[in-house]
Amino acid sequence: MEKGGSDGTPISLEELNKLKSIAERARKNVIRMLFYDQTIHVGSSLSSIEILTTLFFKYLREGKDPINRDWLILSKGHAAPALYAVLAEKGYISEDELWKIQDISGLLQGHPEIFIPGVDMATGSLGQGLSFGIGVAQGIKMKGGTGRVFVIMGDGEQDEGEIWEAMTHAVTRKLDNLVAFIELNGYQLDDSTSNVKPKEFLPDVWKSVGWKTLNCDGHDFVSLINTIDEALKVKAPVVIFAKTLRGKGFPVIENSKRQRSSPDDARKFLLNS
Amino acid sequence: MMQGSSYSIRDTFGKLLVELGEKNKDIVVITADVGDSTRAMYFREKFPDRYFNVGISEQDMINFAAGLSAVGFKPLIVNFAMFVMRAWEQVRNSVARMNLDVKILVTHSGYSDSGDGSSHQSLEDIALMRVLPNMKVIVPADPEDIKRSLPVVVQELRGPLYYRMGREYSPSITTGMDYDFKLGKAYVLKDGDDIAIMGAGVVLWDALKAAEELEKMGISTAVINLFSIKPIDEDTIEYYARKTGRVVTIEEHSIYGGIGSAVAEVLAKRYPTKMRFVGATTFGRSARSQRDLLDYYGINYKSVVSAALELVK
Repeated sequence: MEKGGSDGTPISLEELNKLKSIAERARKNVIRMLFYDQTIHVGSSLSSIEILTTLFFKYLREGKDPINRDWLILSKGHAAPALYAVLAEKGYISEDELWKIQDISGLLQGHPEIFIPGVDMATGSLGQGLSFGIGVAQGIKMKGGTGRVFVIMGDGEQDEGEIWEAMTHAVTRKLDNLVAFIELNGYQLDDSTSNVKPKEFLPDVWKSVGWKTLNCDGHDFVSLINTIDEALKVKAPVVIFAKTLRGKGFPVIENSKRQRSSPDDARKFLLNS
Repeated sequence: MMQGSSYSIRDTFGKLLVELGEKNKDIVVITADVGDSTRAMYFREKFPDRYFNVGISEQDMINFAAGLSAVGFKPLIVNFAMFVMRAWEQVRNSVARMNLDVKILVTHSGYSDSGDGSSHQSLEDIALMRVLPNMKVIVPADPEDIKRSLPVVVQELRGPLYYRMGREYSPSITTGMDYDFKLGKAYVLKDGDDIAIMGAGVVLWDALKAAEELEKMGISTAVINLFSIKPIDEDTIEYYARKTGRVVTIEEHSIYGGIGSAVAEVLAKRYPTKMRFVGATTFGRSARSQRDLLDYYGINYKSVVSAALELVK
């Protein structure tokens, strides 16, 4: 297995620039997908670009042995376009495949499926990823493996009851090979999260039941890396509350409940950026 | 014919779990706070490190098992039938969709949780599970059928499975019969020429009793144990439909979408046949025994005899 994770050295400017350029290409590719299918969840995807880029290009250790590799579970499966764009950067899928997203002849489904290279769990129905991640993390520990499990959830997703079931379960199992992200972009499908159901209490609850809680800027690579480095040293399940913007970097929808935009807006943005 | 046995369904099951755990170190048992009631506790006592009580958290239970399966374990989920239904969507979207090797072994199905009433009685689970791609559905008739089938489905089959059992009530149906369980195969409990009764589970006792009564009236009756509901034995169903021309199904389950429906699907395609369906059409209620409920709702040999007589007249 390749040497993985952070070795404690600060990120070099060269590496930082590399991550930024990968994320920028992935961001533009997600917006470019609007030319081909206007129903994809652009806002939620752009919220997740930097987190996915950081994990795939700095932390995730690849391999065929399921207990000695790292797992990434995109529990907020509607951000699939971001996952696919980063998987294309990673070389798991060809860039041409991105333009066939949700097409009957394409590989890439509207939500992740495990037949897509690089996808570890079929998701799309919210609230299910953390429980699966706990099973994987527990199994790795029982078999003496070195694999780690990263789960990415949304703030709206926290409405689901299964999250509570899983949150308390992970603590019981003392899983220190599990790192969860909760993106705080402030919106769910119909409205702002604050108008639908309160979310402000979430960090207190996760902390109270026994998780180590950390905070970061989910679009800032240095913040992400420092926080993930810290998370990996903690001997308990860790949750990282990552402040993000829905539609980050695409002004026509940024920080709004709008999930989608028109191909014309996408064209204008791509020409001007 | 015996009605009742000294060896309950769940005790037979619990002891078999331990035997399977001894043979296969990758087997883990997961339950949602019903380890004692389901007899998964026998496994807990023997293999505490491979036993997980996730608390009263059925959704988490399903996906936790799915995760364990993804890294090479063989998870056996043990729970009440009814409360797995609470997590049906997790079964659909995680276990069945990813075609994971997760076995869902349920007790307390049908009316078997008699006292607890309609909230705890599961009369819809076969319908819900058999509709899922990749999912196999098995309904053993009695403790002997559990001994025949459980080791096979756990050790030899890969992929999602729903295995449906009752609780205590275990009339002797297949004791002394010499046959093996084969996935997708039915077993002929009794041959006959004039009518075929098909079903699965403890109500096969009523099917055999009805056959006795019909034989007294000169009606030669076959009884088929359809313990493999999905995949189902289309050939045997068609053979007996052709041979007798009349089919009565009996199930401790809703007649909508259950075993009778599965038989009707086969016959509509292969040999349209006159049928009658004996099963549930409403929610249940509390009673002191499962037998009282079966009789109260008319899921018994008397109804089968009546249905058969309607078809032969």
